[in-house]
Amino acid sequence: MLKHLLLPRLLDLVIVAFGVSVIAFLMIRMIPGDAVALMLGANSEVTPQALAELRNRIGLDQPLLSQYLRWASAALHGDLGTSLWTGRPVVEEILANIWPTLELTFLALVIGAGLAVPLGCLMARRRGRGADMALRVVTVLGLTMPSFWLGIVLILLASRLLPGFASLGYVPFVENPFGNLARMTLPALALALPILAGLSRLIRSAMLNSLGQDYIRTARAKGAPERVILYKHALRNALIPFVTHLGITAGYLLGGAIVVEEVFAIPGLGRLILGGVSERNYPLVQATILMVTIGFVVLNFAIDVIYGLIDPRLRH
Amino acid sequence: MPVNLRCAALIAFAVLALVHAEAKTAIAEEASGTPLPIAIDSSPAGLDPHIVTAFNSVAIVSGTIYEGLTAIDNDLQVVPSLAESWSISSDKLSYTFKLRSGVTFHDGTPMTAEDVVSSLRRVQSKEIASPLASRLIAVSEVDALDPLNVELKLKEPSAPLLAALAGIAIVPRSMEANKDALQKSPIGTGPFRFDAWQPNGFILLSRNPHYREPGRPKLAGLKFNIVPEAATRAVGLESGQYALLPQLDAATALELKGKPGISLSQTLELSNIVIGLNAARAPFNDARVREAINYALDRQAIIDAALFGAGVPAGPLSPVLKAWALPVSDFPCYHHDPQKARALLQQAGFAQKTKLVLRVLASRQDIKDIAQIVQAELAEVGIDVELANEETGQFVQNWRNGNFDLFASANAGGADPDEFLYRAFHSGGSTNVFKYSDGDVDRDLDEARRLSDPAGRKAIYDRLQMKLACLGPIAAIAYGTLFSAARADLKGYEVMPNRSLASLREASFSP
Repeated sequence: MLKHLLLPRLLDLVIVAFGVSVIAFLMIRMIPGDAVALMLGANSEVTPQALAELRNRIGLDQPLLSQYLRWASAALHGDLGTSLWTGRPVVEEILANIWPTLELTFLALVIGAGLAVPLGCLMARRRGRGADMALRVVTVLGLTMPSFWLGIVLILLASRLLPGFASLGYVPFVENPFGNLARMTLPALALALPILAGLSRLIRSAMLNSLGQDYIRTARAKGAPERVILYKHALRNALIPFVTHLGITAGYLLGGAIVVEEVFAIPGLGRLILGGVSERNYPLVQATILMVTIGFVVLNFAIDVIYGLIDPRLRH
Repeated sequence: MPVNLRCAALIAFAVLALVHAEAKTAIAEEASGTPLPIAIDSSPAGLDPHIVTAFNSVAIVSGTIYEGLTAIDNDLQVVPSLAESWSISSDKLSYTFKLRSGVTFHDGTPMTAEDVVSSLRRVQSKEIASPLASRLIAVSEVDALDPLNVELKLKEPSAPLLAALAGIAIVPRSMEANKDALQKSPIGTGPFRFDAWQPNGFILLSRNPHYREPGRPKLAGLKFNIVPEAATRAVGLESGQYALLPQLDAATALELKGKPGISLSQTLELSNIVIGLNAARAPFNDARVREAINYALDRQAIIDAALFGAGVPAGPLSPVLKAWALPVSDFPCYHHDPQKARALLQQAGFAQKTKLVLRVLASRQDIKDIAQIVQAELAEVGIDVELANEETGQFVQNWRNGNFDLFASANAGGADPDEFLYRAFHSGGSTNVFKYSDGDVDRDLDEARRLSDPAGRKAIYDRLQMKLACLGPIAAIAYGTLFSAARADLKGYEVMPNRSLASLREASFSP
C-alpha cells in the first residue's frame, strides 16, 4: 500500500521541487535592485569596476540559465550555497531558524486542532442552542482577529498580569526548557486561536453533515449508544476534511508565521525569508523556499497516509 | 466532563508553575550579572567594520568590539583611543601615531604597529572594496617605525583625517586579505568581545577581561536582541525584558515618557532627512528651480506634523557641529514664501509637462510622512509630484544610478564638515548622485581639506553653506531628535548624535 502511494508522490516531489526552484530563482532576481548594489551600500565609494568585480565574485554576471544550472547542480550534490552577506553556509542559517518554526507549528496545531475537535463536536451536538450560538459568534471573532494584533494584546496582557514573565525572543528547549515554553506560549496561542476558530467550525459542519447520513440513522436504530454514534461513526467521517485543512495549515505554518515572528521577536523561517528577500540574499531565499516546499510535499504525503487510516475505503 | 475539568486544572497549574519559575530565573539571572539586554530593530548585514555601512551594523561593532586610532567623544571632538598621542609634521604631510602599549586583540595576540599598517592597507585595498576607502584618499603610505609608532604619509594635507581615523577599526594583521572571517566573527580590541550570533535572534558580546582600561567595562556583556516590531520593543522595556532601546521613533518616545522606571534621553541627530534633486536633468538642472523648492517648503510645519515637533530645520551641516554650522536663519530661502517660489519658477520658465517622481525610502516612516507633506507643499506652488514608495533595495539602485527627479532619504554626516559636504557636493563625489558640479564649490571643498587653520576653514565652510543651502542639489529638511530609552538604573550610558553606543563602556547598573 505504502509503495503504491509513495512512487507517485516521489514523482510529485521532483516536479514540484523543480518548478518551485525555478520560480523562486526567477522571482527574487526579478525584483529591482540587486545584492551587489545593496552590499556596497548607500554611502560607499563605488566605481563601476568595483560593482563588476563583486558581481563576478558572486557569479551574478553569468547568464540566468547558467546561473540556475550551476546552482541546481550544486544543490543536487547537497550544496545549497553560502549566504551572500554573512558568508555562512545557508544550511546553517536555515537550521538556526528552523527550530522555532517547527516548535511553533507543532504547538499551534496541538492547541488549535486539539481543542477544535471537542469544541466542534459540542457545537454540532448543541446545534441551534445557546452554547452553539455563542461559540459560533466567538469563532467568527477568532477568525477575524489578525494574529499580530492578538499577539500585541497578549504581550500587553502578560506584562500587566504577570510582571517578570519572559514572553519575548527565543531560547532553545535544550538550553532552558521552562524559558523556552514560557516564550512559546503566547505566540503559539496567537497562532492557534484563529486555527482553532476555523477548524472547530469545520468540524461542526462536517459533523452535522455526517449526522444527517443514513448510516447514523441505522446506528441509532440498532440502539448504539450516543457516544459511539458521535465519536465512532460521525466524527470519523468528519475527520477527512479536517485532516485536509490541517495539512494545509501546517504547510503554511512551516513556511514561517512572519507576522507573529516579528511581533514576538522569534527567529523563525518567516523572518529568514523576509530578510533574505529584502537584502537580495539569493542563495538563502532559494534554499529556504526549496526546503519549505519539500516540507509541504512530505506533509501532504503524510496526510494521504492518514486518509487511509481514517477511511479504509481510500486505501485502494 | 469531570475528567476534562481535572485535566484543565492540571494544565493551568503547570502553566502557572512554569511562569513562576521563569519569572524567578529572570530575576536570578540579573543578580549574577547577565549581559545588558538591548533591543534593536534589524539584523546587521555583517560585522566586518571595514565592509558594513548600515547604521545598525556600525552601532553594534563600533566602539564596542572595535576601536580606531582616534575616537569621537560625546561632544564630537577627536580624542585619543588606540593611539595615545600623535604628532604632525610642519608641512602637514606626515602624521606619527604613538600607540598604547599592552593592548591585545580579543584572540590574545598583542596589537602593534604592524596591525595598524595592515588595517589601513586593508581599507585601501581593491579586493576588500571597503566603502571607507575614500576617507584615506589622502594617505599615500603607512609605515611601522617600531612596534609602537606608525607614520602616515599624505599626498596633500588633510584636515578631516584625524576624525576619519576614528571610523577605521584596527583589526589583526592576519585579516588583511580575508574578506569573510570578520563578517561572521569579529576580532577587535574593544571593551566587549564577540560571543555568539543567533541569526534574526540576537548578537551576544561579553566583557573583554583584558581591556586596556582596568575596571572597564563594568557590564558583563551586551546582548543585542533583534526585535523588528516597535510596539514589542516598548513593551519589552516596560516589562523589564530589555534594558535599553538605543533608538526610538518620536511616537514611541512620547508613549514611554514619564513611565516609572524608564529614563528617556535625547540628542539631535548628526544625519539629516533630505529631499534630493537631480541636477543632471530638467527641471532641477536650473538653480532657480532648486531655489524655488526651498522657498516652497515650510520646514517647521513639516517637523511639527511628521516628527511630532522632535527636530530642527536642517541646513547643510548639523547644528550638533557647533563650531561649524550656520544658523538656518542665515539662509534667505529658508523663509517659507510660496509667492517667491512661484516667481522663481516663472523666471526659470518652468512648465510642468509630466509628473515629477519623488522616490521615497519607504523603510522609514518619518521619511514617508515627510514626503507626503513635501508633495502637498510643492503642489501649492504648482509643482506636481508623484510619490513612489520604494523598498530599500529598489531605492538604493535608483539612487545610485541617478534615476530620479527627486528623492526623500536620510543623509549621514560625521564629526568633520568635510564628511557632510565633500562626498555629496564635489564633482564625482561618492554620494553625489545628483551629478551636481560647480567649479567654485569644488575649489572650496578641496581648499578646506588642505587648510589646517580652523578660522580659514570656517570661512570657506560658511561660504559653502550659504551657497549650498539654497542653490545646491539637496533641500535639507530636518535633523531629527534621536531618542533613546533605558531602565532608570542604567547609569553612564549617553545617547550620541552619531548613534554610537561607545558610551556603554562606562555604563553600569546602580545598586
